[in-house]
Amino acid sequence: MIHLEPRKHTSAWTNLRAIMLALLITALLSVLVLFVMSDRPTDAIWQMMTFPWQGRRMEVQWGLVLQQTAYLACIAIGLSVGYRANIWNIGAEGQFAFGSIGAYAAYLILGSPDSAYVFPVLILAGILAGCFWAMIPAFLRVTCNTNELLTSLMLVYVASHFLTYLCIGPLKGDPKAGQAETYPLAESVRATKLISGTELHTGLLILMAAFFLLAAILLFTLLGYRLKVAQHTPRAERFAGFSPKNTVWLSFALSGAMAGLAGAVYLTAETGKLIQAENYLENFGFAAIVIAFLGRLHPLGILLAALLISYVNVGASYIQASLRVDDSVADLIEVVALFAFLGCAVLDNYQVRFTSSRKAVTT
Amino acid sequence: MDTPLLEVRNISKAFGDVVANNAVDFQVNTAQIHALLGENGAGKSTLMKIICGLQQPDTGEILWKGQPYTISNPKTARAIGIGMVHQHFALFDGLSVTENIAFSIDGAVQGKALEQQITQLAERYGLSVEPRKAVFELSAGEKQRIEILRALLLNPELLILDEPTSVLTPQEAEQLFETVRKLAANGHGIVFISHKLKEVKTLCDAATVLRGGSVVGAFDPRQQSTEAIAELMLGSRDITTTRQLRHFGDERLAVKSLNLQDNDVSLNIDNMQVRAGEIYGIAGVAGNGQELLYSALSGELTSRNNASIVINNTAVGSLGPNDRRALGAMFVPEERLGHAAVPQLDLNDNILLTNISNAATSKNGIVNQRYLSTTTDQVTDQFDVRHAGNKVAARNLSGGNLQKFVVGREIIKKPTLLIINQPTWGVDAISAMRIREALQTLAASGSSIVVISQDLDELLEISDQLAVLHHGSLTDARPVAEWNIEQLGLAMTGSTEAA
Repeated sequence: MIHLEPRKHTSAWTNLRAIMLALLITALLSVLVLFVMSDRPTDAIWQMMTFPWQGRRMEVQWGLVLQQTAYLACIAIGLSVGYRANIWNIGAEGQFAFGSIGAYAAYLILGSPDSAYVFPVLILAGILAGCFWAMIPAFLRVTCNTNELLTSLMLVYVASHFLTYLCIGPLKGDPKAGQAETYPLAESVRATKLISGTELHTGLLILMAAFFLLAAILLFTLLGYRLKVAQHTPRAERFAGFSPKNTVWLSFALSGAMAGLAGAVYLTAETGKLIQAENYLENFGFAAIVIAFLGRLHPLGILLAALLISYVNVGASYIQASLRVDDSVADLIEVVALFAFLGCAVLDNYQVRFTSSRKAVTT
Repeated sequence: MDTPLLEVRNISKAFGDVVANNAVDFQVNTAQIHALLGENGAGKSTLMKIICGLQQPDTGEILWKGQPYTISNPKTARAIGIGMVHQHFALFDGLSVTENIAFSIDGAVQGKALEQQITQLAERYGLSVEPRKAVFELSAGEKQRIEILRALLLNPELLILDEPTSVLTPQEAEQLFETVRKLAANGHGIVFISHKLKEVKTLCDAATVLRGGSVVGAFDPRQQSTEAIAELMLGSRDITTTRQLRHFGDERLAVKSLNLQDNDVSLNIDNMQVRAGEIYGIAGVAGNGQELLYSALSGELTSRNNASIVINNTAVGSLGPNDRRALGAMFVPEERLGHAAVPQLDLNDNILLTNISNAATSKNGIVNQRYLSTTTDQVTDQFDVRHAGNKVAARNLSGGNLQKFVVGREIIKKPTLLIINQPTWGVDAISAMRIREALQTLAASGSSIVVISQDLDELLEISDQLAVLHHGSLTDARPVAEWNIEQLGLAMTGSTEAA
């Protein structure tokens, strides 16, 4: 019989071992997935692992990976704030959409100016809009004790329909475009490219700055401490004098702000205009949930997990183009990784013991 | 004379140095309602666990209808006909009454057939329940009836009821007594565990009293005075009159018209004043509102009536813990792990837990780790906390060391008022002694201390004033020397109206 015993001592080493094991399991299962989904599995595996070096221009592929990493890490660390305190905001996708809408609305309200100084205003508007959208589930939870898991998720669909409505209705742009979209932002208010030929731009620097700022807050301040206490023992939270309601407000505000920021950057840097939801949203808000857990809610872990998932995503697009393997392979690998990491996290605090069933302990 | 239904002979059980049962003899006859009496920690639970097969005795034997039996696990106990209704309910809130009962009999009977059986049993013993109702809709009394029904479905000949009336209203209790009488009339043996002497005297026809693990009396409770039984339970302890009556200072804490309700417990206190330099002990049997009183005093549970609690001449009834700490009041809750300390966090982080509003612990929101570490060193040195470094998680400390840590953490702040719930619960003797000494030293330096405890010896040793908490109200406090053990016993068992 196999049973789990609580570990008496946990250390960085036991944690690292569990992570290595999870990575190994993910790798093995991913290989299996590729064997099923591709008719040239060895090529697929090889190309997926080494795609940045496959083409002639390595910086383009790495650019794509880093671009995604920045968005995902930024949203995921915001979500991790609440998750640390057992507050489950899974609506980052909707807060992201509202970030974009807020930034575009600010642009219109300012009279569609053609000036680089407007850029920070749009970013700020995006942050506030994302924050606002996240306040709704927080409000419902605090006043009516509704389950924030459900409300935050449902508000994703409300937000995405609202985005589409804006594009086909009041903000409709060029009617000859192949999709519902608004008129584009003026070129001067958009984020500028850092390295020509790659997807890297100033918006990504803002995302990373926000990431490191929040990481420092989580690691070194009273706010981070308060979340740790709330995560482990709600009773000690009240004893320490922290209001559990304020913890809800705070974590929703922070996660909404981070998703809103990502949405505003996405608008100004990537698309330059709002587009109907299914062509605009790339599921960053949902992937970030997975990344927050893969990274074990720790800032460094989240950064590495975002890098890993982005690498897999871009790699999957690469082999879709080169070997015609469907890029849903990336989703499968993501899920496999989530299961492996969550499963192995048990080994942080427990060790597996094998005993013969006859010796099973009776109490 | 008939052979007793259950006879326990010479049972002893020790946990380490603590003797929980010492040569206990105990017997229950058929059709008898037998009360088992004793203070918290007198050994009642251990004895019942042995009878139910949850624990094995070190020595002694158990006879069932005259035959010796080894009850090696709860299954055996159930199979021979011993059923138990626990004090705390184990029911699934979302499921119906029938479904809950089906679970406990492993689904042997289900659906309509089970419903019918339940209704029949319920009618026979006056246990009115609605089989299809979901458990979350039920009152405490109804939940208890389910627990009794599910014990009865296994056809027990001996039924153990563990403090069954502690969660019931007087009317529900009266209904329960009817049921118990019917059960006894049908030939069941009943063991009735209780602290309430009044109900024992009206209901039971035999009683056994445990104190310190030994049987100190077995008699017919109807023929004994309540006073005599109370004294038997508490023993003839010396109440130290040698303790000097010190001069106490100004009023530090006053509680007036404090009325709070939490789940099934309500608290109504109108008469509590604590002066500087005084240790104010609050005695009482577990579950009489101690936890609620602690939360109300610490500010973890606030009251609408701001004037209901006054600390150092400031009304604080509706203020939270940190506002009260700012007035010099500090708190130590009962539960060490998960309330007084966060098990997963290290000692430095646990120092921070009660020092959030202390300006030295953080600057511009950034935690000052060095200050925390110095404070941890101070606490661990001064209170002799054995630990493997300040970065060790709180859960890795032994009970005694962690308790010294959480008490020391507050004392080192030189509180003008300290509220402490169960200061030495589950702590080794030497640590317990140190904690009591520390409390007395603190009081001698002019601080007020409120000690809520179920350990009467401890309270008699360290308190200046002593009051008894029963059913959420507090008797008037008196100097320890003015109490006698009989009065204490009566107050703790609710045999007199709390003044």
